[in-house]
Amino acid sequence: MTTATLPETPAAGRGSPALWALTALGAAGMAATYAVAGPERFWADWLIGFVILVCVALGALFIVALQHITGATWSVPLRRVPERLAALTPWIVPVALVALLSLPVLFSWTQPGAAADPVLALKTSWLNYPFFIARLAVCVAVWVWSYRVLVTGSVRQDRTRDPRATVTMRRYSPVFMILLALTLTAFAFDWVSSLQASWYSDIFGVYLFAGAVTSSIAATALLTIYLMRRGRLAGVTGDHLYNLGGLLFGFTIFWGYIAFSQYLLQWYADMPGEVFWFRERTTGAMAGVFALLGIGHFAVPFLGLITRNSKKSWKRLCWVSVWVLFMEIVDVFWLVSPIQGHGLHLGWPEAAFAAFFLAGGLLVVTRALRMGEDTPVGDPFLADGLHFHLR
Amino acid sequence: MPESVFGVVGLFDSADALMAAIPEVRARGFRNLHAYTPYPVHGMDEALDLPKSKLGVLVFLIGSIACVAAFTFEWWTSTRAYPLMTGGKPYNGWPGWVLVMVESTILFSTLTTGIGMLFAFNKLPYFGNPMLGSEAIASVTRDRFALMAASDRGALDVAGATEALRAVGAAALEVVYEPDHARPGVGWWVRTATTIVAASAVAGFGTWWAIRAYPTIKPMVNMEVQPRLDAQRPDAFFANGRGMQRPPDGTVPRASVPILDTVPDDAGKSLMNPLPVTAAVLARGRAQFNLHCAVCHDRLGTGHPWLDSTYQAFPVDLQTGPIRAAADGYLYWVISQGIRTMPGYAADISPDDRWAVVRYIRALQRSQDAPARDLK
Ligand code: HEC
Repeated sequence: MTTATLPETPAAGRGSPALWALTALGAAGMAATYAVAGPERFWADWLIGFVILVCVALGALFIVALQHITGATWSVPLRRVPERLAALTPWIVPVALVALLSLPVLFSWTQPGAAADPVLALKTSWLNYPFFIARLAVCVAVWVWSYRVLVTGSVRQDRTRDPRATVTMRRYSPVFMILLALTLTAFAFDWVSSLQASWYSDIFGVYLFAGAVTSSIAATALLTIYLMRRGRLAGVTGDHLYNLGGLLFGFTIFWGYIAFSQYLLQWYADMPGEVFWFRERTTGAMAGVFALLGIGHFAVPFLGLITRNSKKSWKRLCWVSVWVLFMEIVDVFWLVSPIQGHGLHLGWPEAAFAAFFLAGGLLVVTRALRMGEDTPVGDPFLADGLHFHLR
Repeated sequence: MPESVFGVVGLFDSADALMAAIPEVRARGFRNLHAYTPYPVHGMDEALDLPKSKLGVLVFLIGSIACVAAFTFEWWTSTRAYPLMTGGKPYNGWPGWVLVMVESTILFSTLTTGIGMLFAFNKLPYFGNPMLGSEAIASVTRDRFALMAASDRGALDVAGATEALRAVGAAALEVVYEPDHARPGVGWWVRTATTIVAASAVAGFGTWWAIRAYPTIKPMVNMEVQPRLDAQRPDAFFANGRGMQRPPDGTVPRASVPILDTVPDDAGKSLMNPLPVTAAVLARGRAQFNLHCAVCHDRLGTGHPWLDSTYQAFPVDLQTGPIRAAADGYLYWVISQGIRTMPGYAADISPDDRWAVVRYIRALQRSQDAPARDLK
């Protein structure tokens, strides 16, 4: 059996000191942000980090569930990669708890004048503290629970080699998909749309979902390549990368489609209650960010991955993935940052937050790289997946 | 004309044997190799050194051209040929064109894929591979794996190829000939072209005639055919054959007072606001103003500064002196008839509501310039 030739789990470590230093430096910068640049800047940046964390973690869970739901065998040898990436999920809990403190500062419906606003007044039954916090609690509980079923269950299977675990995960995946659709939509409406609660966009949950999936496929591709280059994913070839690249390519188009649809509908209807949101994000200092998003989040990965060979080449996939992850940051920045008013709110505070969340996230993920075997050795379809060839 | 040689074919017992033989035959100088296997064998493309399909490049090219063409067409119609302003959008409203561009790209890419694959790459109209007429093909459809050293632009060293295949262990060697009817001649092209033209003509004229002879047959007419008069349709009910009758000269719709003045200043002198100044009237005026006027004039009547970039005209500031000084009848006339670049609202707002709007404009003006006693 192929499993016998798989490398052993590498030795444990406490995480790179450089990452720890960067996280600490970021934390110091964040404290300084609160003191110098003010709470509004602090909370807006915290929210950006929070949203990206949720996107990448849930995107990773989505990829895992997608493999189970479709019964894909090609992806079995590298399924541990998104599973490990999903180890970010439990970390949503502390970040979300802190983010609750941003409610009175940032969100339009918590402001004193909100009750007088005719649009916001209609939404009070949905946008009020108890219900909002309850929704968050339910969402996070669903996510952590799904993580336990889909990831912890799979890692346990490494030891038990029990094929019934695969059945459990396959059965749970469709349920997860429905729960994900509901919770991610609720999350998008609550934590991003409701910053400016008078704005409407029904498609917004899908928009965030598209970004979440593209970015976590990119992260999965990067981690896969990283492990491959270290010889830790024996049997994973350019053909597997081709499929990852294909997914990234497809979801890039999906993102472009959704993002443009949302823009086009509001542009066409030109309703004052809707377009103000886009005005703030497409004019003045944000015009450049908007253009960067259109070109960078869609055109660059689209053209970068369009040929067959580019999807197989780890170098190409590598830089496109890094770029896509960068674009996800730009995207969420574009969504959240303009609530602070005109101008580009970009400077050392954002660098500090980026350092904290990126280095912290990498610490979590590098630690997760020691979780279980590098490939799901207990999965009965592993051998099929290792024999996957494109032609 | 003698049949030309298509290739020399030999059979192997397993895919592995076939794969192992390929580099050896190639090493003997036979580059144009074909393989026939009962199921797809991984790595065959690389082993045979098949060139990368050019279909992708072709599709990308045609798709891009379609995309640019759609854009150019939209740009030309909307900004050059028929510059009509729709929905307050600029002539160059490109976001609306993206749909057309995307759909054209997809349509032409798909057509290119289909047609390109059939004709350019699957060699239509080349009828059938000569291999299908060989003895070997029967075994290939069961459990054998065939390798062919095929002729390269009509040239093949048959003896050498047979020798090479035998050396690598191929069995049941056979020379496959290409029948001379495999490639269509001039006659075929003429026949095909004539058939297509004739078929199109029959279909086209047939449809044309059928539509004239038999009006469309509708499976369900429930809602469509009703005993009613339609605008712009002839109707036998009235003697003059029209569907819609014109109102007799001099008639006036109920609840409407015709405005006889042709310039607003005259209306200012001849028309009086029939409504009293009450909270109810002002509330009605505010509702109508915010509904119809505020999009351009803003809620205070000062005008939205961004309007001129899309609307290409700036609404008059209703707080300024001339509008304050204008009579009620003047404002009523403007609302009803429109003025210069502003459209009239007679069709959308009833006369009473128009008068209420005028009252409300007065209230707005006073709110921005309140005398001291108002503020007590
Ligand atoms: C589509 C945008 C638009 C809407 C809606 C609109 N206006 Fe105007 N209005 C304009 C523009 C533009 C002008 C300036 C016309 C010009 O100078 O060419 C104007 C001018 C005016 C004037 C000044 C006329 C003058 O003598 O200079 C008045 C009064 C006025 N509007 C009242 C109204 C009222 C009342 C309503 C609501 C029933 C209304 N407008 C709705 C665009 C609009």
